Amino acid sequence: MATPIVGTRAAVRDALRTKSGLFGFGMLAFIIATVIVIPFIAPYDVVRAWADVAAWTDNPRNAAPDWIDAFDDRKQSRNIILDWNDFNKGESNTSQNLKIIILQGRWEFPYHTFPSNYRLQIRATWASTPIQIAVDWRRPDDETVRIFEGLVTRQAPEIDVLPLTADDPRNDPQDRVRDWAVSVGADDVDSLRDVRPYVTLYAAQGGQMLDPNRASVLRGRYSLTITAIARNLTDTLEARFTSFGQVYGLAGTDHLGRDLFVGIIWGAPVALAFGTAAVFITVLSQVILGALGAYYGRRFDEVIQRATDFFIIIPVLPILILIGQLYEVTIVIILTIVILFNIVGGTTKVVRSITLQVREELYVEAARSYGASRRRILFRYIIPRTMPYTFALLSLSVPSFIFLEASLSFLGLGDPVLPTWGAIMGDASRNGALYNGLWWWIAFPASGIVFTTVAFAFLGYAFDKVLNPRLREE
Amino acid sequence: MGLGTYLAKRALFLVITLILATYMVVVIANQGGAIDDILITEIRLAVRQELEGEIFYQRLNATEKNRVYQERVGELIRVRGLDQPFVAKSFRQTWDALTLNLGQATFTYGTGSFKLTTIIGERLPRTVLLFTGSTILSAAVGVWLGLRMARKALSTFDRGFTVLSITTLVIPSWVFGIFFILAFSFALRIFPSGGMVSAPAPREPFALFLDRLWHLALPLLTVTFSTFGGWSYTTRNLVLQIMDEDFVNVARSKGLSEKRVLHRYVLRAASPPIVTGIVLAIVASWTGAIVTELVFSWPGLGLLFFEAIVGADAPTIIALTIIFAYLFVLTIFILDLVYGFLDPRIRALGR
Repeated sequence: MATPIVGTRAAVRDALRTKSGLFGFGMLAFIIATVIVIPFIAPYDVVRAWADVAAWTDNPRNAAPDWIDAFDDRKQSRNIILDWNDFNKGESNTSQNLKIIILQGRWEFPYHTFPSNYRLQIRATWASTPIQIAVDWRRPDDETVRIFEGLVTRQAPEIDVLPLTADDPRNDPQDRVRDWAVSVGADDVDSLRDVRPYVTLYAAQGGQMLDPNRASVLRGRYSLTITAIARNLTDTLEARFTSFGQVYGLAGTDHLGRDLFVGIIWGAPVALAFGTAAVFITVLSQVILGALGAYYGRRFDEVIQRATDFFIIIPVLPILILIGQLYEVTIVIILTIVILFNIVGGTTKVVRSITLQVREELYVEAARSYGASRRRILFRYIIPRTMPYTFALLSLSVPSFIFLEASLSFLGLGDPVLPTWGAIMGDASRNGALYNGLWWWIAFPASGIVFTTVAFAFLGYAFDKVLNPRLREE
Repeated sequence: MGLGTYLAKRALFLVITLILATYMVVVIANQGGAIDDILITEIRLAVRQELEGEIFYQRLNATEKNRVYQERVGELIRVRGLDQPFVAKSFRQTWDALTLNLGQATFTYGTGSFKLTTIIGERLPRTVLLFTGSTILSAAVGVWLGLRMARKALSTFDRGFTVLSITTLVIPSWVFGIFFILAFSFALRIFPSGGMVSAPAPREPFALFLDRLWHLALPLLTVTFSTFGGWSYTTRNLVLQIMDEDFVNVARSKGLSEKRVLHRYVLRAASPPIVTGIVLAIVASWTGAIVTELVFSWPGLGLLFFEAIVGADAPTIIALTIIFAYLFVLTIFILDLVYGFLDPRIRALGR
């Protein structure tokens, strides 16, 4: 079989001249540009926080991306946060040596959908007796609802989250909100569990205001007033209020409120580094072993051939799953194991067949005749000539390594800390994202991985077209 | 050397591969023997705690205490086979695995039995149904498409399908599964999003059959969509190369129709390399089965793998790894058989 031998530089140049080569290169350049920019958008600290549940409590959970209403007149509700210093503070002392603290926060609510939840955090210190507080919710229609009355139970630095939604034995805001709603004309509901205070408090007055599916939003200026009675003059009180949105960020959030945009853009360097590191090391070893086998021949060649067949056949993913289940693995360990399983492989065979041809060529004969050592002939004359033929395989193997890691992470056996595309998709799948309409959670990481691997597929195809595809048989 | 010798050689190699792979799994699963030391430490701790609680033991003096303690520990170690050297034990475990003596699972996985052979026996046919079904489908679609692409080489049709083939080729079926479920079962509501049968299942046999088919459709189409590219792209390239060979030109100049030339001469010559080229794709699809079945909640071996991971059920994971090694080796042997019959060079060896 005669092979037109092409140099490395010519192969790259010709591949870039094809449409698919240009396309693949462009996509890859885009990914690399993203990777370079990422540390400026989301520093590594953000990634370390990925595994920390407490770092994401200010975000709504399972929220869709916020651009979904871009062409819609009905705006989805966004996150509104009144931070510790956004509340106006008034203090006065009474004759009975009591201290009265009044905190007031205001916000505009211009959206057409209800928030997905709300939360009031209280940070307080007291000297002897817990502080007594009352929380009043004032609406644009001048109605005022007392949503909480009771004691603050936790001292700073701990933060007390008032029971505005959850079941809490201290008080029941659901009860208060229902009583108020019925008093202004709402149809009552059968069970207290059905009451969503964050809906009813934002609902326009009417019979449906206790029904989350039929109530309509009352837009305008809301305010929250916290009146506290403290026993000591040194007691302090601060508040922070969050109205959680229905939508958040460019890529939405997951079940823990994590900003998926951060996870998805950080998936790019992780996948790229994993895929290319695995490919460069394995292709290098496969090339060298293939050339060595063909050059030295006989027994050595036979051993390498059989080892190659062996490693092509054994089921790598099941073995990786076994390892991931029995041992603690990080991404570096996974990479090492993957490399070990690919020391020989498809490239070994290609390089072997080319070496068998090149070995007989005149310039190699010439080198041999002037007394070049075997090592020199192998590494300076033969291996460089085989390099271009590995490019197609090189580009086409990157996707398979990326997907191998993604499969493992998807099953929950990948790196426990890093946000990889596979891990995000696995979280999504386990939490029913596919069936509950949380498409952004799974479609974006899947698109990221498809975009990256298709870039490599185009490059591989371009090289395949430029070089003789026939070499890939056998 | 005839076909028989060729097959015997391949079979020997595959059996050796299987034995080595199984041995590797056994060593990994036992943490290279280190797990024995951990188990022995656990036994010592458990025995000491148990004895401290017994009245007769508390009355013994120190030497007698030590003797009773050593006796009990020794007995437990013997019963659990921990006194034998790891190498000997690993050989026995490998033999057990190879003879499919797989032992007990931690859970029954809905079969009512803890026997791993029963559990796997129930799941295996479903995986084989899905993946051989889609392999046959994608081979038929792929080869047919590849022939058409080669005939209209460099047309828009050819270019379009070449790009589609190479892009779908690198993306595993489970990733397509995610997009297909979102599109066809969540947005369009044409297909169910997962499982093998509706709940409650139809009682009438024909309705049950249709219901199963309806559940099979989306995973089958997904796997086919992600694998046809390998067949069509390889077929196209090979046919284009062979079309220029002398024997094809001779056939053409004899006045044979283009269709006859394509089928009788070109495709026949192209088939062995197509089969070779596709071996890796099928092996890869077995690996993909694990995640694909999870995405579609298809209750085959892959989903069992995932259930075992969630339940940290080590015996099942080990058994499945070995079953997958078997599946890989058997697939390759079947393809070797096909190859042996197709490739005239191998058939001619005996003459």
